[in-house]
Amino acid sequence: MQLKISKSTYRSILKSLISVALALVVTSVLFILTGANPVLAYYYMFVGAFGNFSLTVETLVRMTPILLVSLGLAVSFKCKVWNIGAEGQLYMGAMVGTIAAVSLGNTPVTLLISIALCILAGMAWAGIPALMKTHLGINEVITTFLMNYVAIYFVQWLIAFPFRSPDTLFPESAQLPAAAILPILVPSTRLHLGVLIAIFLAIPLVYLLMMRSTFGYKLKAVGENPEAAKYGGINIKRTMLMALVISGALAGLAGFFEVSGIQFRMRGSLSPGYGYTGIVVALLGQNNPIGVAISSIFIAAIYNGAFEVSRVLNQPQGIVDFIQGVLIIFVLSSESIMRFLEKKGVIKL
Amino acid sequence: MIEMALVVGLLAITLRTASPLLLASLGETIAERGGILNLGIEGAMLIGAFSGFLGAYFTGSLVVGFITAIIGGISTVLLFGILVIKVNLDQVVSGLAINLLATGLSLYFFRIAFSQGNFPYLGQLIDPTPIPGLSGIPIIGDILFNQTIFVYIGLLSVPLIYWILFKTSFGLRLRSIGEDPFVASYLGINVERTRFISLIVEGIFVGMAGGLLTISMFNTFDTRIVAARGFVAVSIVILGRWNPWGALAGSLLFGFTQALSLWIGTFLVGPAAPSISQLLSLLPYVVTLLALVVGGRKVRGPASLGSPFAKE
Amino acid sequence: MPLPLIFSTGIEEGLSKEASFSGGSEIDHFNDYALYVRGISKTFSNGVVANNDVTFGIIKGEVHALLGENGAGKTTLMKMLSGCLKPDRGEIYVNGVKTRISDPRKAVQLGIGMVHQHFTLIPTFTVAENIALVSSSSRKLELKAVEEKVRYVSKSLNFDIDPNTRIEELPVGARQKVEILRLLCQDVSILILDEPTSVLTPLEVEDFFRIIRQLKNDGKSVIIITHKVKEALSISDRITIMRGGKTILTIPSSQTTASELASYVVEGFIPSLKRVPTARGEPTLSVKGLFIKGDRGEMAVKGLDLSVHSGEIVGLAGVTGNGQKELVEALTGLRKVEAGSISLKTCDLANKPPNFVINSGISYIPEDRMRRGVILGMTISENLALKRIDKEPYSKNMLIDKEALDKSAKELISIFGIKASDPCATAGSLSGGNIQKLIVARELTNGPNIVIAEQPTAGLDVKASEAVHQKLLDLKTKGAAILLISADLDEIMKLSDRVLIVFGGKIVGEFSSDALDMEKLSKLMLGSE
Repeated sequence: MQLKISKSTYRSILKSLISVALALVVTSVLFILTGANPVLAYYYMFVGAFGNFSLTVETLVRMTPILLVSLGLAVSFKCKVWNIGAEGQLYMGAMVGTIAAVSLGNTPVTLLISIALCILAGMAWAGIPALMKTHLGINEVITTFLMNYVAIYFVQWLIAFPFRSPDTLFPESAQLPAAAILPILVPSTRLHLGVLIAIFLAIPLVYLLMMRSTFGYKLKAVGENPEAAKYGGINIKRTMLMALVISGALAGLAGFFEVSGIQFRMRGSLSPGYGYTGIVVALLGQNNPIGVAISSIFIAAIYNGAFEVSRVLNQPQGIVDFIQGVLIIFVLSSESIMRFLEKKGVIKL
Repeated sequence: MIEMALVVGLLAITLRTASPLLLASLGETIAERGGILNLGIEGAMLIGAFSGFLGAYFTGSLVVGFITAIIGGISTVLLFGILVIKVNLDQVVSGLAINLLATGLSLYFFRIAFSQGNFPYLGQLIDPTPIPGLSGIPIIGDILFNQTIFVYIGLLSVPLIYWILFKTSFGLRLRSIGEDPFVASYLGINVERTRFISLIVEGIFVGMAGGLLTISMFNTFDTRIVAARGFVAVSIVILGRWNPWGALAGSLLFGFTQALSLWIGTFLVGPAAPSISQLLSLLPYVVTLLALVVGGRKVRGPASLGSPFAKE
Repeated sequence: MPLPLIFSTGIEEGLSKEASFSGGSEIDHFNDYALYVRGISKTFSNGVVANNDVTFGIIKGEVHALLGENGAGKTTLMKMLSGCLKPDRGEIYVNGVKTRISDPRKAVQLGIGMVHQHFTLIPTFTVAENIALVSSSSRKLELKAVEEKVRYVSKSLNFDIDPNTRIEELPVGARQKVEILRLLCQDVSILILDEPTSVLTPLEVEDFFRIIRQLKNDGKSVIIITHKVKEALSISDRITIMRGGKTILTIPSSQTTASELASYVVEGFIPSLKRVPTARGEPTLSVKGLFIKGDRGEMAVKGLDLSVHSGEIVGLAGVTGNGQKELVEALTGLRKVEAGSISLKTCDLANKPPNFVINSGISYIPEDRMRRGVILGMTISENLALKRIDKEPYSKNMLIDKEALDKSAKELISIFGIKASDPCATAGSLSGGNIQKLIVARELTNGPNIVIAEQPTAGLDVKASEAVHQKLLDLKTKGAAILLISADLDEIMKLSDRVLIVFGGKIVGEFSSDALDMEKLSKLMLGSE
């Protein structure tokens, strides 16, 4: 397969690399200030993520929900619909899938139906703010964010009361029946089927959707120049609505996979903020499915690697959050930074 | 008599729960009147809460905490301003970035300041300060004059902001920028400087709004402390039609909703009580969304809100 | 002091006429002039020479018309005088003193103010607030004082304007008055008005003339930019004609006629007809009694009728601003039709969405290419497939056939001579002219029923323009109907079977290609008939 990298692709990759480099430099400063050797810190981070086979598998496991969410967000962001409700869509997908699984019990179709329903739940949860946007003109950033809180509090209530587990003390759901649990593919690891689905099914499908389908074409047109798109006969509202709903679907799936593959029951602490991490990853990957895939491995590596760094170098937790926060600022500014470097002749393409 | 006391209590609590929303939405009203949509207000409140907590904790002085909260608010909003005005980045995405940055920074530096497993808290909080004389008035005295300084500042700021926006030349210029920065620039108005001034004012208010969460309402810091209040404030600005009196009405409405759900929670009895009580925590968010559906459609805000501007 | 007369010398048929100031010490004359410019030149970054060594003067207390067609350079010149643009070369003298006008505010300080075609008022503010925006110096907003001043100045001009009405509630004619009012409240003594009557009804035009006379009586100097010959004659003391970036002639209005002026404004030329006459078919597009509102609330199209038959090219000639933009937007489904009908064969198209219009077979080459015609961030192939992306061969079963896309793109690139190395390059990498070629390529190869071509060869070189023209002619032979809207009379003459002249939102004249009366045509275009 001939890999032809056009100049613009090369430039985009460079932009993302610059953002990452800058973020790591700032983080290095932080390491120095807290008395750690940055080179050592990054070494331990790498070791923590990829040090041995089982750690690498863990990184892939960590990557899965991030990947799914960001693939969906890439679709939404491509047409400039700012879905920041992936966290809530994730929780709703997880909850609905859990309820379905627990209610159905051990049947041959439990897993399938639960997956179908979790996707629908994510779609519905995104659909509400989508309709508010297209039909009422209400900014989706506000509505999707508020829906996060509705989702999380609602789910917390569901697992504290009506769907509370009968056999534990904590507010969590009952355990999933065996038929609803994603099979583990490599024994004595946590590599569940969802990981493979995300890598080998979700990435190609989203790639097909965004880069090869007429819908992907319309996404791009609406995002780049809505007026010309309108003159070109594209239905802008419909495109935006579908984009938001698709991203909800993937977020819902991500949520249920976390329950079915990792936690085995629904908990309030299901996601450490994957819905928000997805925003950073989607933007870092510049809304391109391949870029997003690479960025999600990267972020997952930082997530897991950070634990090692904390442990060994006695660093506080929260490095991931710090890096994400700094990274997004650099990702946003990357175009301006790139133009600055090109103007000064540092970069010549 | 007893019922009256309960209602009075409810209304008094309303003003206190409304205060962060009121201060935040007043600040956002000013920024949006100048055409800047600052969705990073959530993050700015978080930094305000964080820096207020740090200042109060490490110096033992609530006054210092008050000041550091404001500094935190101004810094965050100014950073947003640089991204949006100087670098001319998209306002919505920049706001999101600020929120993520704020979460990241505050979480990390909180852990640095207090090691894992440590749960620091403030021994003393800014409590209601009764106004001598006035607080003795029956009913009204309890509701209006026995409140925290944040409530007083918020209430007094409503006519102040109204005056600034609609009765001063600065306000006229700011509003003209919000309608059409190109025309304003053509007429000789310094769009950049005026906008930065509006953002500094917003920073002060937002810093207070966030700070009061840690130094008055709760006694510790957590990255979840803002709990979407920033976004509720943005919704209030829309519902209040970008008018400080509208912001007051909106904040009272939502403060009331929140106070009501807390209040009902304390009176519930029976086996379903904890369940309903927890479910009520949903109420403010659902009400905000419903209010947007009812009152947020096809509203006309400042015409250039959110649009990029570059001086030719 | 006699009024200096500026004559042109050596008037020759079909050649441009140069202007020069007659003898005498120019330095003496500076003091007669409220405003005097010499050697002004301005070239824009796209290479267009807007003003070429212009010399112009306005005498204190006179009404001076600056007359010319589209692109003559009138607005550019006035923008430099009002501080919106900076000249590349030349000198400006205000009351005999050489100055540099750095921005509009400086211009106002010097006493020069301009009312542009797009008003610079804030619609949601009241009249008083708009004026207070520029005149309020104190921190406190003293609206009462501003209201008083507005009332006072209004009264002296017999304006009937309540300072407390919001601009958006005012009709367009009143808004124009507010613009003038604002300048007067800033003590402007030289007022420049850009195409002021384009937004006024005939009745309002009468009132407008009265206002101009009043201003003159008050000692103000007024410059009116216009393309309407009759107007220039009836209101001004002197008229300067501009063409191709140069001042051609300055003459007192009492010493010339409409015909003479029209002949200077429009350059004579020889129409070249290289067409294959085709039999005209059935009417494809029928427009009857169309009324359309413009952006500023004025009625821009006032009862327009036209029809385009299959196998014919209809040229719409006219100076920009006479309703063409609004007509085209209505035809492409993007502007509301207030009254009247648009039909494509038997299909009613008025007020239908763009999608419907496109699927009915209307192709559109827009004047505003960047915003409406092309998506810069997408590739050339992708842009070429816009409007037909859901159809074969570009896609099948919702999947894009990239090979077909690129193949089709390569064909179009070669046929239309688009200078692009790779169809996968983004459209943003193309030069302006090549972007136009892309749009033309796309619109002319969809097998349309009717093509609406708005300035289709603007910015193209001779070879490319020829190619576009040939394509239009070929389409015509195949039976398409083409509506050509262009400010380039050459182009209209060359291609059209029939020429319609649009003025003031209506069709005021029609010529068939073999019965062209150039003189009459130009007069109709300039409203001087």
